[in-house]
This record gives sequence, C-alpha cells and structure tokens, in this order.
Amino acid sequence: MNWWDDVMYRAVAEVVLVGALAGLIGVQVVVRRLSFFTMALTHATFPGVVAASIIGVNLLVGGVVTGAVVAVGVAALTRRRGQDAAAATGVLLSGGFALGAALVASQNGFSRDLSSFLVGSILTVGAQDLISTAVALVAVALVLALCARPLLYAGFDPDGARAAGLSTGRWDLVLLLTIEVVVVTVVPAVGTILALSLIVAPAAAARLWSDRHAVMTATAVVFAVASGLAGLYASSRWNVAAGASISLTATGVLLASWVLVRLRGLVAPGTRRAVPA
Amino acid sequence: MEAAALRYTNVSVGYQGTPVVTGVDLELSAGQRLALVGPNGAGKSTLIKSILGLAQILAGTAVVLGNPPARARGLTGYVPQTDTLDADFPVSVRQVVMMGRYRQLGWWRPVRAADRQAVERALDRVGLADRARHRFGTLSGGQRQRVLLARAIAAQPRLLLLDEPFNGVDAVSQEAIVRVLRELSAAGTALVLSTHDLAVARDLADLVCLVNGRQWAVGPPAETLTAGPLRRTYGSSAIDVADGRMVLVEP
Repeated sequence: MNWWDDVMYRAVAEVVLVGALAGLIGVQVVVRRLSFFTMALTHATFPGVVAASIIGVNLLVGGVVTGAVVAVGVAALTRRRGQDAAAATGVLLSGGFALGAALVASQNGFSRDLSSFLVGSILTVGAQDLISTAVALVAVALVLALCARPLLYAGFDPDGARAAGLSTGRWDLVLLLTIEVVVVTVVPAVGTILALSLIVAPAAAARLWSDRHAVMTATAVVFAVASGLAGLYASSRWNVAAGASISLTATGVLLASWVLVRLRGLVAPGTRRAVPA
Repeated sequence: MEAAALRYTNVSVGYQGTPVVTGVDLELSAGQRLALVGPNGAGKSTLIKSILGLAQILAGTAVVLGNPPARARGLTGYVPQTDTLDADFPVSVRQVVMMGRYRQLGWWRPVRAADRQAVERALDRVGLADRARHRFGTLSGGQRQRVLLARAIAAQPRLLLLDEPFNGVDAVSQEAIVRVLRELSAAGTALVLSTHDLAVARDLADLVCLVNGRQWAVGPPAETLTAGPLRRTYGSSAIDVADGRMVLVEP
C-alpha cells in the first residue's frame, strides 16, 4: 500500500501544497492590495466549477475558464481611465456567485454537493488533485521568481515602470492570471468562500512581521502551511469541517500576529515600525 | 553634429485625442536645463509624459534624442512625483535604485558587481548611502525624491525628466537635488523639470517654457519670468499663484 492510499496522508500533503501556494501568491495579493479582486475571483470560479461538473469535464478547467474571463475583464477595466474598478469587481463577484447558485438550483439532487464547492472537501482529495496542485505550485513559483523584477517595478511605481519601457498592463495581467491559477487550485480543497482567508490572512500576518519581500514570502508560506496543518488536525480531532477550521486558524494567526506585534511595540518601542495603518 | 536632446515643432499633446497642451516649440541640447513653468493643471506633467511616449502627440513633430518619443525610452530617465507612490510598499531603498538597472539587467539575469556599484554610487551622490537598507516608505518626502533621482542616475540617461521634483521637499533635500542636477548637466545630461516655483526655475534653468493649456513663452529666465509673459500665462492670478506663494513680478 502506498502512502497516498490513505485519506489522511493525502489531505496532509494537499494542505502543505495548497498552503505553500496560498502563501506565495498571498504576498503579491496583499502588497498590491488585490484582496477584493481575489475575493471576486474565488466567487467567479464558482459558476465555472458548477458548469464543469454538470457538463462532466474537469472542475479545474471550468474554474480556470471563468476565472480567466474575470481576470482579463478586471485588467481591461482598470486600464480605462475613470472606470470604477471596485464597482465592476463587486458586480462580477456577486453576479458570478449568483450564476453558480442558479446553475446548482437548476439541477435536481445537485444541492448536496453545493457545500463542497463553498467550503471545500479536503478529505476527498485524490492522487490526481495532488499532482495538479504540485504542478500549479511549481508553475506559480517559477512565474513569481522569473518575473520578480517587472512585477516589483510595475507594482511599486507603474508610471516609472512605463517610463522605463515596461508594459505594465501586460505584467498586471500576468499577475492576475497567476492569482487566478492559485485560486482555482485552492478552491477544491478549501472552497470558494474560504479560499480568500488562506490566501490573504497568512500574507497579511507576515506583512506585520517584516518589511522585506523575501522574508514576508517565507513567513507567509510557513503561516499558511501551519494554518492548514493545524486546521486539519483540529478538524479531525473535534469533527469540524476542514475548510472552516483551516480558515479559522489562518484568521487566528493574523489576529495573534497583530496582538504580538502591538505588544512588542509597547515593550520595545521603535525596534520596528508599528502596525501599518 | 549630435542630434538635439529634444526638438518639439508646433506640437500638441494630450490623451485619447483631446489636446492638453498645444503649440509647443522647444529645442534643448545636451547639458541644457529646461524648466516647464505653469499653474497646477496646466499640462506640465502631460508634456513630460509626451517626451516619454506616454501621452499622445496629436500634432506637430516631436523628436527625442533623434527618435520618436516612445523609441527613446531607453535613453531617457524619469523621476516621478513621490506622493504618487505607495509608502506602505515593502521595498528597500537599494531595491528602488536597482530598478534603474533593470533595463541593462533584463528580467532575470543576476545582479552584477557593476550594477551594485552603480547603485551605491548613485545613492552616494544624493547623500543617502547610509539609508540603502531602509524601507523606502520610512524616508521623508525629500529623501524619497532623492532616492528616485538616484534610481534615474543609476540608469545613466542622456535626457532626464523630473515631475515637480521640489514638491513637499525640505531645504536640505532641495539643495542636494539641485547640486546633483547641476553636476549632471555639467556632464552633458539634458534636463527637463516641471515646477510651479518661479524661484527654482529662475535659479536652475537655462531655458524656461511657460505653459498653461498652450505654450505662452519660451526662452531664458530673464526674458520669460517677467511680468508680461507671466500675466499671459497665469491670467489674473499672476500675482498670487499656486500654494499661496507670492510671485514677485518684475517690472
């Protein structure tokens, strides 16, 4: 018998991979203030995943397609002067979610599976899912490493980057699509509603501890993986839904970091900048 | 003969077909310092963006270092206004200055000793060598402006464009920036800077271009920063321009 024949081992492996993925991209999401966009993405993948399961194709494919539509749509909207990107993103968020809900309701006997889309089902992860998560992790890590300079320049100083000859619109799209790949990969494990907390909370917590991009990224990955493992343990110990306990743990890490960084500031003021406003 | 750093012939610039500044005639050679002077919203930034190929040339001919603006980007440097940047962004002073080397480095080639030296030298020139490891956002407005100037220097541009480089800048930083700009132009770099501070323009520029929707005058400060052209440019507010600063209109 191989290790991946055991449900719990598979879940642990998936949680580690998903945590690393979420931590890596989370730093970009937090630093670029794309949390709301990511929220919209998680909800917009929902109708794609439902449609894919109705048609009978791979759920990832469904999520990727609808997510890509949203990513490209938001990128196009933010390029237009005077467009309210937040309003457009918000409409896409609830519109996408409504479409998913309508699709679910149109199918008899389908609603039992609804909750697995919403809060994930890490215990049903198969060897196939593990492989696709691992592939996504390698791909995302490669993109972030190879495109670190243009992503940093375009994120920090779009005007300066354009003046230096960078096509910032294209690099924004690269980032949005990378976020989308992460969202689609993470959603089956922790669900559309809960994915955001695993992506944003560990990175936001890491942001409190460090100003340095590399340190932040490493810390975010550790926080996300630890949240995943602790949440998984809590779920099997106290019989709570895994997605929910993972999300709660990640939120707890953020809360604890905030308190600890504040306390440290009180004990030794000036050792580090205070919590960002 | 070397091509002029900048040659604008009856140029109109703007966005999406709508002109912002019209009738611009400029000629700038290597080592010259040009100040774009006008009230807020006069189109100074748009004019600078047009030199970078980031605003449209709607009419006339624009030549930057012998090329159409967009094709000269590798040879021009740009110092944006500091307050357009996210002060919370986790990026160190050294990383910001290193951005000036990205063009030479490409996107994934490792940093070479020459790049590191160029960064250290640039930081040294603006007097911030000891701040290299600090987070950009923890610096004062004037220091941030000097870091952005160091970034532009690290790229060794032949034409340097600065958008309101003295806005919200303390006296020490202003002095440091002025000193570096004089050194750069002495070494042959052409400079274009926008300002609504007449004293700065008078002190620093060889050439002043008065703009407000259109070009109203161009020439040495002694000819342009005088009552007539200033009144034409600023209209009835010629005496009391932006930020409540008083303009001493010489008779």
